[in-house]
Amino acid sequence: MFSQKVAQQSLRRLAVQQPLAMQWSMMRATPAAVALGKGIQSRPVSSSPNTEDPTQILAKQRLNRPIAPHLTIYRPQIGWIGSSLHRITGVALSGTLYLWATAYLASPAIGWHLESASMVAAMGALPLAAKVALKATLALPFTYHCMNGVRHLIWDTGRALTNPAIIKSGWTVIGLSVTSAIALAFL
Amino acid sequence: MASLRSTSRLFAASRPLFRPATFARSYATVESTPKNVDPIPSENPNMKTFKVYRWNPDKPSEKPNMESYQLDLNKTGPMMLDALIRIKNEIDPTLTFRRSCREGICGSCAMNIDGVNTLACLCRIPTDTAKESRIYPLPHTYVVKDLVPDLTLFYKQYKSIKPYLQRDTPTEDGLENRQSPEDRKKLDGLYECILCACCSTSCPSYWWNSEEYLGPAILLQSYRWLADSRDERTAERKAALDNSMSVYRCHTILNCTRTCPKGLNPGLAIAETKKMLAA
Amino acid sequence: MVSFARPSLLRQTLATRSPLLRQNVGVSQMVAFHASARKQILPPLPQSLEGTMNDPVPVPKPHPSEGSYHWTFERAVCVGLIPVCVAPFAAGSLNPVMDAVLCSLLVAHSHIGFQAAIIDYFRPQRVPKFNSLCNWLLRAFTLTTAVGLYEFETNDVGVTEALRRIWNA
Repeated sequence: MFSQKVAQQSLRRLAVQQPLAMQWSMMRATPAAVALGKGIQSRPVSSSPNTEDPTQILAKQRLNRPIAPHLTIYRPQIGWIGSSLHRITGVALSGTLYLWATAYLASPAIGWHLESASMVAAMGALPLAAKVALKATLALPFTYHCMNGVRHLIWDTGRALTNPAIIKSGWTVIGLSVTSAIALAFL
Repeated sequence: MASLRSTSRLFAASRPLFRPATFARSYATVESTPKNVDPIPSENPNMKTFKVYRWNPDKPSEKPNMESYQLDLNKTGPMMLDALIRIKNEIDPTLTFRRSCREGICGSCAMNIDGVNTLACLCRIPTDTAKESRIYPLPHTYVVKDLVPDLTLFYKQYKSIKPYLQRDTPTEDGLENRQSPEDRKKLDGLYECILCACCSTSCPSYWWNSEEYLGPAILLQSYRWLADSRDERTAERKAALDNSMSVYRCHTILNCTRTCPKGLNPGLAIAETKKMLAA
Repeated sequence: MVSFARPSLLRQTLATRSPLLRQNVGVSQMVAFHASARKQILPPLPQSLEGTMNDPVPVPKPHPSEGSYHWTFERAVCVGLIPVCVAPFAAGSLNPVMDAVLCSLLVAHSHIGFQAAIIDYFRPQRVPKFNSLCNWLLRAFTLTTAVGLYEFETNDVGVTEALRRIWNA
């Protein structure tokens, strides 16, 4: 009831304020006008058809997109720095083992002396500082990888997986591995 | 409002009258592009520099660059999103970024701010004005424009884990799938995820293997359905994850847990998933 | 349009004159961005997506021997390594059997670790040929390492004893 009244009022207002618009719309809406095709729009110029495959526009744009910077801009945090150290020390230790064992296997053929006696002799010939330095460079990756490995095994049980625990255990592992490596170096 | 603004600008215009001559000389040589400075600073301005990653897809041959803007913190809201909105409104309308809810529930404004992924609307502007703030898009994503990353692959991966309840048996009363309070409790810390992609794009494993590895966010969502007592396709869900790439590219780096702006624990969810798969 | 253009114009002209500016502005506002340089080792390919936006990514076939079994085996090797790594420190050098256990666990652990690194950085979907080359190299080296360690155990003093002697040299 109310809405009808509002519609009537607004129509009336339109008729008073813009008589032309009123006439025009009435003319269009009449059945006669529709039958005569007066309501049909026409354009003088035909638009040119777009032959480009519309699904390829986005695919082409994608090819230009750069990759947002990642490793270089991410804030150094104990979590991922420690994790990358774990990978690096692991590869370094295993790589040393692999290279040494393979070289030992090939030593008769290439004439190297990698048996324990000659290695002990070579080590013994080094000055003390070099000994300690060599031991430390071997011991630190080993102790770090071992202790961080234990940390990983604890995580794999679903324990100590909270932000404070991750940070604390990370620094603990670094502290323990450095001290134990120093101890091993002077052993 | 508009008239008020223009009058304040008129007042500002009177300031340069007091400019000493020495500055006038430096103006000609040093100041090359002064457009990126707060237009009308307050009385005792507290200016902070924001460096923002810019790349325009309309000029694809140009490399991405860092553009710096200076804002008066006294006139800016407390959050990074306020700063970005001010830059866009008052300094550089071409700056492009996503934002919607401004209260950390839509996940649109996820970006890398000062080196960590977070939601701009939940990240306070560091008050130390001596240090500039750097804003990048989410790391190792394809950039659509400026701070807008393309997350299509992320959503496609989300779809692949079937993130909906799958049941074959009808419920007892034919009305609801009921769940005990204890079983419901298992979903706490999982259902709150807003899929902002902060964790996934902080994960180095996801950086290198995003095509095959699902990433922390999707795996957390996947665990949300594995842990749901009402879901009956657990075996099927587990089989879909049981390959070398989907889950096991996770090496427990735990950037995900560290960065989650909602305080959730994707790392724990993945650890639980691995335990479920091993059992 | 006019209302949009004018304030920005005004703003620009004002900004150039603002005395505040001189304290803060460097030589150039635009800094070239260096992190995405050409030096990258294995840059990601230009973006392309399989299927439409509404298709899920394909779900790989279940492969437990590369998935859950592999993971469990890996953890078992790691857990097994802890006592044989600690024992030499406690008991001096080990007997040959324990030494053999240590060596075989070390080789298994190293092989799995290298495999993980290869898959992480040279995944078969990105560089299939290089990936298989790496895998074959790894298999060859694992074999030579295993044989080399066996030779060392049988013809020499054994790994832990050798390390002890070198350490005390």
